[in-house]
Amino acid sequence: MAVADIYHAILAFKHKEIADLVQKELDLKTDVSGILNDGLIAAMDELGRQYSQGALFVPEMLIGALSMKNGLGVLKPILARTNAQPKGIIVIGTVKGDQHDVGKNLVAMMLEGAGFKVVDIGVDNDTAAFVKAITDNNADIAALSSLLTTSMPAMEKIVTELKEQVSGVKTMVGGAPTSMAFAERIGSYGYGGDGPEAVETARKLMAL
Amino acid sequence: MTKAMTPPERMMAVMMGQEKPDRVPVVPFIQGYAANIMGMPPGEFWSDGDNYFDANFASMRLHGYEQTPLFGYAACGPWEFGGKVGMPDGSGELAPYVIESPVKTLEDIETLKVPTFDGPLPGGFAIADRNAERCVEMGMPAGFQAGSIFSAAAQVADTNAFLTWVITEPDAVRMLMDKVSDMFINALEYFANKFGAQQCMPFQAGPLEANGMISPDTFRDLVYPYNLKVNQKIKELGIGAVLMHPCADQNLNIPYYVQMREACDWHGRYIWIFGPETSIPDQMKAFGDHDIICGNVDPIAILEKPYAEVVQLCKDAIDEGKDNPGGFILTPGCEFPADAAPIKVMAMMDAAEQFGRYE
Ligand code: B12
Repeated sequence: MAVADIYHAILAFKHKEIADLVQKELDLKTDVSGILNDGLIAAMDELGRQYSQGALFVPEMLIGALSMKNGLGVLKPILARTNAQPKGIIVIGTVKGDQHDVGKNLVAMMLEGAGFKVVDIGVDNDTAAFVKAITDNNADIAALSSLLTTSMPAMEKIVTELKEQVSGVKTMVGGAPTSMAFAERIGSYGYGGDGPEAVETARKLMAL
Repeated sequence: MTKAMTPPERMMAVMMGQEKPDRVPVVPFIQGYAANIMGMPPGEFWSDGDNYFDANFASMRLHGYEQTPLFGYAACGPWEFGGKVGMPDGSGELAPYVIESPVKTLEDIETLKVPTFDGPLPGGFAIADRNAERCVEMGMPAGFQAGSIFSAAAQVADTNAFLTWVITEPDAVRMLMDKVSDMFINALEYFANKFGAQQCMPFQAGPLEANGMISPDTFRDLVYPYNLKVNQKIKELGIGAVLMHPCADQNLNIPYYVQMREACDWHGRYIWIFGPETSIPDQMKAFGDHDIICGNVDPIAILEKPYAEVVQLCKDAIDEGKDNPGGFILTPGCEFPADAAPIKVMAMMDAAEQFGRYE
């Protein structure tokens, strides 16, 4: 029994076994951060890498998300007790008019896997919905997803209005038709082309 | 000077495949755009077969393209099986979208009832039916949706849960695919009975089996058998023309579309509108000898690039596909962007006129 078992079980899509495996490690007094970083997070990184290379597809990634959720479910009470801080708090959602949520869900999962606290507000959000979730959760970052050229203007509007309405929150955007150049043009702090890039951008934004 | 063909003559020529049309036909895959240029709110357009027909017919007359009004929508499935869709109210949505999927748990699949067509028609099929009546009255084909089965199933259930079931609960996915394919078979029987098989042009389109979503192995195991089932029914009914739109990047699924065609011993004509990710030579290799392939210009480029560049993109597609043995039609690689400027339709028409002549 070792942390590596958790890692391998996640890569083998045995999401139903993860909670037990994590509990067993805790019973063996294994360090919580080891379970989190070398077990759960390392496995998610590897899934993300294989997905980016086209070796894995969306269903496999969503199973990975379930594994992560099951593992974190066991760790969360302990993390809360030990006062371990998340790397940052992120509110994520698709913008007004956009129902495409598969990419947003994958990004949310990768961010969570990387140690951020993620508040997912679902699809079709206007500025007011983002503002509420940001203030309720004291979020550091607002992550906006848009898959439609027709919802990109809504993204621009929300990014602009968030700057006016909440101080200190940084925005990042993503989704197939968006780009770094688009993010810069609308005044967003960050952009990510996929899950791993979203994690990288979020880390950078937290260091700003 | 030879007389120009009319749009129906041009379509007939490419569909029959015996003589060349005078120029490459243009099917701009217009739906929401028609509402836009009519100044019709999208909700009124999508929820009423007469409105849908009137706007599409007006756009047809305005531009003179070869496409006839064809009703189908990406969110097909949930409403028909007893869930809810929202009609766009102009606040952001452009097309019907899912509000409630009827399948929330695996148990719901077992009790789910296949919609029947012997009373009031289920969900969007009532709208499709009215649009088809108007088309047939004017000698145009009755278009209606007969797929994609996987995209419909993935929305009849909660999409993200369904995508995990693909791995964890393949038998439940099969049961749902079976029920969804039975609904499309019921639709095929209804429309073929009402309008006659030769007058029907079923339409199969869906994005959720794209390779950005699922692997080709998943396609082979969970999608192909049900596509085959529905297409065998199409053949059995004597329907001769099917519009196929494997949406987005489906390059890795192409071998299974080829296999399906062969396994059906297909007698008629498929019109293939692949996403812009599939090259025209690849389409010709797979289907070119028997079927009509389409020059699949990227819809986002149509929306964003200026007129001259859109003409150039259409010319490139025409140059590559025009002499395909099975025939060629100029189209975008997905729905024509609803908010694109009318001059972009003109760009497609101009390219066909200037670079798509056969004589
Ligand atoms: C699946 C799909 C659907 C499904 C969505 C199901 C769901 N619950 O999500 C359904 C059938 C519902 C659908 C509907 C429609 N769709 Co659609 N759809 C797609 C498709 C094929 C795949 C999208 C997807 O999930 N990809 C897989 C995920 C994993 O990738 P992703 O979303 O890009 O996300 C990644 C990155 O972009 C990034 N990312 C995403 N979000 C964020 C956020 C942040 C902060 C960061 C950093 C990164 C990031 O990371 C993700 C992981 O790698 C695309 C084609 C395409 N090429 O994208 C069309 C596409 C987006 N759809 C399109 C259209 C037109 C529609 C409809 C309007 C069709 C219609 N007439 O009804 C409706 C609109 C519904 C609406 N109001 O939103 C067009 C958009 C064209 C345009 N003009 O913009 C596309 C491009 C197809 C095409 N070629 O024309 N669609």
